[in-house]
Amino acid sequence: MKCDAARQQLASYLDGELDRAAVDEIEAHLPTCAGCRAELAALEQLRNALRAAPRLRAPAQLRRRLAQMDELPRLGAPAHGAWRAGWWAMAASLLLGLALGAGFMTWRVGAPVAEGHLLARDLLASHLRALAASSPLDVISEDRHTVKPWFAGKIGESPPVIDPKSEEFPLLGGRIDYVGERRTAVVVYGHRKHIIDVYMTPGLTDSDGLQLQGYALTPCRLAGQQAWIVSDIDADSLRRFSGLIGCG
Amino acid sequence: MPRPHSHLDIGLARDLTLPHLDSAYNLARWLMGSPQDASDAVHTAFLRAARYVHTYAGGNARAWWLSIVRNCCLAILSARRTHDVSLDALEADAEDLLATEADAPEEQLHLAQSAALVMDELGRLPAEFREVLVLREIEDLPYREIAEVLGVPIGTVMSRLARARQMMRKALARGTPHEM
Repeated sequence: MKCDAARQQLASYLDGELDRAAVDEIEAHLPTCAGCRAELAALEQLRNALRAAPRLRAPAQLRRRLAQMDELPRLGAPAHGAWRAGWWAMAASLLLGLALGAGFMTWRVGAPVAEGHLLARDLLASHLRALAASSPLDVISEDRHTVKPWFAGKIGESPPVIDPKSEEFPLLGGRIDYVGERRTAVVVYGHRKHIIDVYMTPGLTDSDGLQLQGYALTPCRLAGQQAWIVSDIDADSLRRFSGLIGCG
Repeated sequence: MPRPHSHLDIGLARDLTLPHLDSAYNLARWLMGSPQDASDAVHTAFLRAARYVHTYAGGNARAWWLSIVRNCCLAILSARRTHDVSLDALEADAEDLLATEADAPEEQLHLAQSAALVMDELGRLPAEFREVLVLREIEDLPYREIAEVLGVPIGTVMSRLARARQMMRKALARGTPHEM
């Protein structure tokens, strides 16, 4: 390996951003080159110096304030409590400005959703929260005879847990989640690397299915109960899955 | 238009952001300069995250959240037209450190002095180089995530990082001619 090529990659090497082959090349080169060793040592020294400085931690007061917030202030609403009045006006106008700003568009903005679809938003929020958590499951079981009573013990009702008995759509387990204000049973299936959530939402009226941010939200009747399927699997797989669990 | 907000939005925003609150605060602290401004910026960013939590499309929650924090910081700074970190505030931190860190008095002094120097110099870097160093060296984010937070290609992250490191090395060498 040429020295200047190695020199170029030393930072990426230190940052752990090189693939195995490139790492091998650098590691073969280093023992032969005092210049590159010195450069790497200097980069490491800088890192150590930066990491020796204390990592600033969020003040406990800030953490508490966010953890205890139970509603969002209306835009432009006057300040209350210890929070400063002048700040709010500024924050509110900033929020508005930011929302309209181009930077915001970096993140996919979901299609506007009609008021009647608030439920859909709640379902999607729950689904995304589960995906972001370390596990989307509260009870892990491929056996519906385990999952069903688990729900009964938790929310006093046992939703239909249907095992599609298909390797393509394994039953993974279940969890309890909030949809709107109510605790809802969610039966979780897998499909390749995707997660399919089936929300049992008794009492909720029928509605059209819709597509939000790449996720399909599909209402259906499952064993006489109202349910919603939320997933990002493709339309064909979704149809097959619905058929297998007898969702009409 | 954002929808009327339910407690669910706040709950989801909390789930996505609170695990990375220290990272958010650290980034804001280095961009804004003072503890009060950093807290205010993170608070504003949280409101924004909750208000627009439906724009979170899965994927890396930390990068999503830090990019909101960063955008809030930059918007506040540009609204104020003051781009310079307050060095007074950084010095105040260094003094705190002097009082609290390390055991032996000499070691304490030495650590505090070099940490103070590093913080001082980091605070003097232009914001675009400061933030990339904070995200890589202190927050330990991979290039891909830094690129997401900054909204730039990975190549730009790499070149900015290289330049930032060069600047820091030069600055620290100036500060401590015997050691660096």
